[in-house]
Amino acid sequence: MLDLLQSLSDGVLFGSTYALIGIGFTLVFGVMHRLNLSYAAASVGAAYAGLIVLKLAAGAPAWAVFLGAFFAGGVIGYVVYVACFHFIPLANPLATLMATVGMLLLIDEIVVDVTAGMPQNYPAMFDDVMLHVGEFTMRGDLLLVFFVSMLCMAGLLLLIYKTRLGLATRAVSQQEVAAQLCGIRVGQVNAMTFIVTGLLGGIAGAMIGASVGTLSPLLTTPLTTKGLIVTVIGGLGSIPGAIIAGLMVGGFESVLQQFRGVTERDLYVMLLLFVFLVFRPGGLFAAGSGRD
Amino acid sequence: MKKIAFAVALAFAATGALAQEKTIKIAGFGAKTGVVRSFGINSEKALMAAAEQVNKAGGVKLADGSKAKLVIEYYDDRCTAEEGISVIRRIAGTEALIAVGPSCSNVAEPLFGILQKKVDDKSDSGLQFPVFTDVAIKVGLAKISEWAFRNVPNESIMYSAVFYWLKSKYPEAKTVYGGVEEDFAHSRASWYLVMKDRAQANNYTVLGESKWLLNDTNFATQVREMKKANADIVAISAHPFTTCGVLKEMQRQGVKPKVLVGLTSTSSLETMEGCPKQAEGMIIPTSFAPVTKDAKSAADAIAKFKGSGDLHSMAAFENVLVLKQVMEAQKISGKKEDVQADRRKIRDGLAALKQTTGLLGVTKRSDDREADKPYLFVHANKGEWKVLHNPL
Repeated sequence: MLDLLQSLSDGVLFGSTYALIGIGFTLVFGVMHRLNLSYAAASVGAAYAGLIVLKLAAGAPAWAVFLGAFFAGGVIGYVVYVACFHFIPLANPLATLMATVGMLLLIDEIVVDVTAGMPQNYPAMFDDVMLHVGEFTMRGDLLLVFFVSMLCMAGLLLLIYKTRLGLATRAVSQQEVAAQLCGIRVGQVNAMTFIVTGLLGGIAGAMIGASVGTLSPLLTTPLTTKGLIVTVIGGLGSIPGAIIAGLMVGGFESVLQQFRGVTERDLYVMLLLFVFLVFRPGGLFAAGSGRD
Repeated sequence: MKKIAFAVALAFAATGALAQEKTIKIAGFGAKTGVVRSFGINSEKALMAAAEQVNKAGGVKLADGSKAKLVIEYYDDRCTAEEGISVIRRIAGTEALIAVGPSCSNVAEPLFGILQKKVDDKSDSGLQFPVFTDVAIKVGLAKISEWAFRNVPNESIMYSAVFYWLKSKYPEAKTVYGGVEEDFAHSRASWYLVMKDRAQANNYTVLGESKWLLNDTNFATQVREMKKANADIVAISAHPFTTCGVLKEMQRQGVKPKVLVGLTSTSSLETMEGCPKQAEGMIIPTSFAPVTKDAKSAADAIAKFKGSGDLHSMAAFENVLVLKQVMEAQKISGKKEDVQADRRKIRDGLAALKQTTGLLGVTKRSDDREADKPYLFVHANKGEWKVLHNPL
């Protein structure tokens, strides 16, 4: 029983990293109804960029690296928007999808080229903290990631529902033409969405780097896969859905790994995705009606 | 005017000399992109450094007594089997006399499969092209084809020596627990066929193993299993990225075995970049360390090309020196029309070798075209790999 609880707890806490990536996927989809497949790669790229802080100031604290990743994420987010969405007609969803696949590979190769594919040690906060309740343990750094995920979700919901930018974003996501007729600059709103998701991606990348302890281009593929699974299960466009699905997928795979082994683990996660696609294609929190 | 005429004549003479300069092409191939890119990059630099050394000494002596310079051309196989097979077919269509590579065992195994299995077997239409592997280390691959040769360390012998040595160094240690990257050919084979087997052969009790995948990021469950086993020795058979992830999780969960043993490939700069603190004390057998005059000189030579000298890249360096000897002994012609005949001569020459001189000493060659290389044990010490024990 303790094993089950421990696995569940480890998985749910680590699932916060999936949730952070899922939020980014879902936010872009919610606003533009397009998938940005380069999101996880951009997040990992931003985390790498954060390491520049350590190059400039050796011994800089972990939070400074995270801050570097945060801003780098915003810049990368804008570049992704310009390269993959701004000049490509949005009426052709396949073109933007393929452009983001190209961007994923490009970011990955840039990272590999700069680092020669070598894993990079990544600083962490509270990585030496382990909470014990008898034999039951919880990692301090993962609790931080969990807390940051919740904070991001709260911050995003505030941004979307309490600010003018949020109002414009919702307007564009619901009826782009009407929003345009009301004087909202759709291009500007889309660009801002990418910058915001990029900033969030920077945090996500830094948190993932910190929780794994090492950054590697190997992270991109599993994070992209998990991010997409989380987005579908949570409901395309739903931020709370991405959070809950992230934690759920993390817990699910950890428990399955404990009882069915590492080689079967991903089979069941994929099966879960198919179950959702067949029986609840809208995910846990399908976006309400009102879209164009 | 006279000066101009002299210069023009000199230029023509030089052009003529260049045109007459003979070259022999050696093709290198390996992972130059992707996550194990460092293997290919360093192998290429090592090949170039070795070729420069050979060329500076005059080059390779051909059958007619003339000399030819070595030319290296490197191809990227991205560490994927399909790309590797496509690359070797492309190389076979060039004037290259031999290929040095690949980096990955998952490429080497199917690639050796498309080579002719037995020389002179007319019923076998497999590729008749010699391949001299520098990096792909999974045990027993060269036996797949008589055109396949390897200069990679024999892990079975090395780990046997490691566990034998640990027996005397840590007599109180009785149990071993493994950690294995289940989905990577080399890591998997090295644990199940080498480390586990050799530990048992040295009378250790193997308590089990934790498994993870190459792309995994969370190792909590695996390390908890490791902690429960409470073994004296933990042997990790994985690449640097997941090795570092596991070592960091071991630190978090307070798993401190008496001895930590690592995979040969992890005795590289990558581990020191990824987790120098957590890898402290990890013992790894390796076939390269700059401990001899030749080894130091080779490490310096590759450094000039901005490469890193490790057990893999230095095997590529050795391969070029061995090939020079073989080409000269077999009296290859180096002529375009004799490419296939020269390839065959090189194959036969390599097959006839009983021993070669490597950077650490004499390397014995086995009948199944594998190497029995000299080795030593290194350990992670303050962010560097330092020699711990030289059993030879």
